[in-house]
Amino acid sequence: MDKTDHVSLQIEQNMGIIWIDNPPGNYLVRPEFIRVDLLKDWIETNQVKGLLISGTGKHFSGGADLDALFAMSRDAAMMETEINKGKDLLHFIENLNIPMIAAIRGICFGGGLEIALSCHMRICSDNALFAFPETNHGMMPGLGGINKLRELTSFHETMTFVLSGDMINAEVASAMKLVDQVIPDDDLMKHSKALLKKMVDDRNLKVINYVMKALHNSRTMTLEEAIKEETRMFCELAAEEMERRMSNEE
Amino acid sequence: MSNKKCNTIIFEFTEGIGHIIMNQPPSNMMTIEFFSELGQLVAEMKEMTELKAIVISGQGRHFSAGADLDELLNLVDGERSRDHGIKTGNLPDILNKNFETFHFFEKLNIPVISAIRGVCIGSALEFALFTHYRFCGEDAVFGLPETTFNLLPGIGGISRIALLSGRSKALELVLRGNTFPAEEALRIKIVDKILPKKKVVGAAIDFAASIMNGYRKGKEKLYVQKMSF
Repeated sequence: MDKTDHVSLQIEQNMGIIWIDNPPGNYLVRPEFIRVDLLKDWIETNQVKGLLISGTGKHFSGGADLDALFAMSRDAAMMETEINKGKDLLHFIENLNIPMIAAIRGICFGGGLEIALSCHMRICSDNALFAFPETNHGMMPGLGGINKLRELTSFHETMTFVLSGDMINAEVASAMKLVDQVIPDDDLMKHSKALLKKMVDDRNLKVINYVMKALHNSRTMTLEEAIKEETRMFCELAAEEMERRMSNEE
Repeated sequence: MSNKKCNTIIFEFTEGIGHIIMNQPPSNMMTIEFFSELGQLVAEMKEMTELKAIVISGQGRHFSAGADLDELLNLVDGERSRDHGIKTGNLPDILNKNFETFHFFEKLNIPVISAIRGVCIGSALEFALFTHYRFCGEDAVFGLPETTFNLLPGIGGISRIALLSGRSKALELVLRGNTFPAEEALRIKIVDKILPKKKVVGAAIDFAASIMNGYRKGKEKLYVQKMSF
C-alpha cells in the first residue's frame, strides 16, 4: 500500500482503492487531496480497471480542515491556486475513462461530499450523513458540488440542502438521489467491491473506456451526436471482436 | 391504408392505430432482414396520413431478444485489419440506417407506444427507448448485455438510459450487462407502466386510442422533420 500525505492507495487485482487516510475525521488538508499526476501514474502503472474511494475508519471525510483553510485564505492568490488544483483533480476524476465509486460511511461533509459527487456512483452505509455546511461559515461549496447535486436532484432540494447547511441521513440522501444505494454498514466495502468487480473484471479495458466515454458524451453532446458516437464505437469494437475470433480460428 | 405483412413484420391498421408486430417468434430476433423491412415500412408510413398512433409489440411470448450479433459481426470486413487501421465494412452504414429508422418513431408527432412482454434485450430495448411510452408485462425482462460480448450498446442505449435513469445507473446496467425485471425497470423509469402480461397489448392500444385525438395539436403533417430530442 502506498501512502502519500493523507491518502493511501491499495491495489486489489485490477481494482484500485483510494483511502482518504487522516482519521478520525479524514479532514482534507488541501483541496487537491491527491496529486493528479500521481493518481494518473498509479492508475496506468497498475492497469487499474475500476476505482473505489472510501475513508479510513468510521467516516468518509469531514471536508476541508478549516484551520488549514483559514491559514490559506490569508493569501488570496495562493488560495485560488489551491482551489483550482482541487477543481482540476475533481475534473480529472469526473472524466476518468474507468468507473470510480464512492463507498461512504459516517460523515461526508463539504469537500468530502464534493469528492463523492465527482465519482460516477455513490454507495453509502445506513449510518452515513451528508452536508454542505459551508453556508454556516459564510461560504459556499466551491468545487462544483452545487451543480453536480442539481443534476442528480431537483432545484429546490439542492437549494434547501445547500442554503440550510443541514445534515441529512442516508435515507433522505437516497430519496433525493444523492446516493445510488444504501447498504448495511458492515457490508459496505464488501458490497461495493463486489459490484465494481462485476462491472470491470471480465471486461476488457477498451470496452470499459468506451462505455465511460459514451456516458461522458451524454453529458457534453446532444443526444443525437452522442448516439452517433455510440454507433462509431460499437463498430470499432465489433471489428476488433471479429479480428479476435478470426485469430482464434487460425 | 391496409394491413401489410412481410417476412419479419406484420403491420395492422385499425381505426387510426398502426400496430407493428415483430414477427419472428419465439425470440423475434432483429435480423438484418428485419431492420431492412422496418426501414421500408417507415418509408411507407411517411405517407400514411390517417395514422394517429402506433403500437409496437412482439409476436408470441416475447418482445424481442435484440440484434443477431453474429450476423452483425459478419458485416465487418473479412480482411485483416492490422496494417490498415480498423475496417468496419458495411457495419457503420447499416447501424446508421437502423438509427435513422428508430429515430423516425421518436420524431413522430403522433404517440408511439411499446407493448413489451417477455424479453426485451439489447437493440430491442434500444428500439423501445426511442418510443414515447413503454408498457410492459409483469413477466418482462430487460437488459443491455452487449459488454459481455466485448461490445457496447450501439444505437442509443447508453445515452437514453443515462437520460431516463441517471448516469450512475446507466454505468451499472451497461457494464454489468445483467438482466433486470419489470419492477426495477419501472423504478429506474425505463418503463412507464406494468400490467398483467395478457393485457399489455390491449392496454397499449386502448391508451393509444384514448390520447391520439388530442395529440397532434393541429399539426397537419404526420412526419415532422425538426422535432428535437
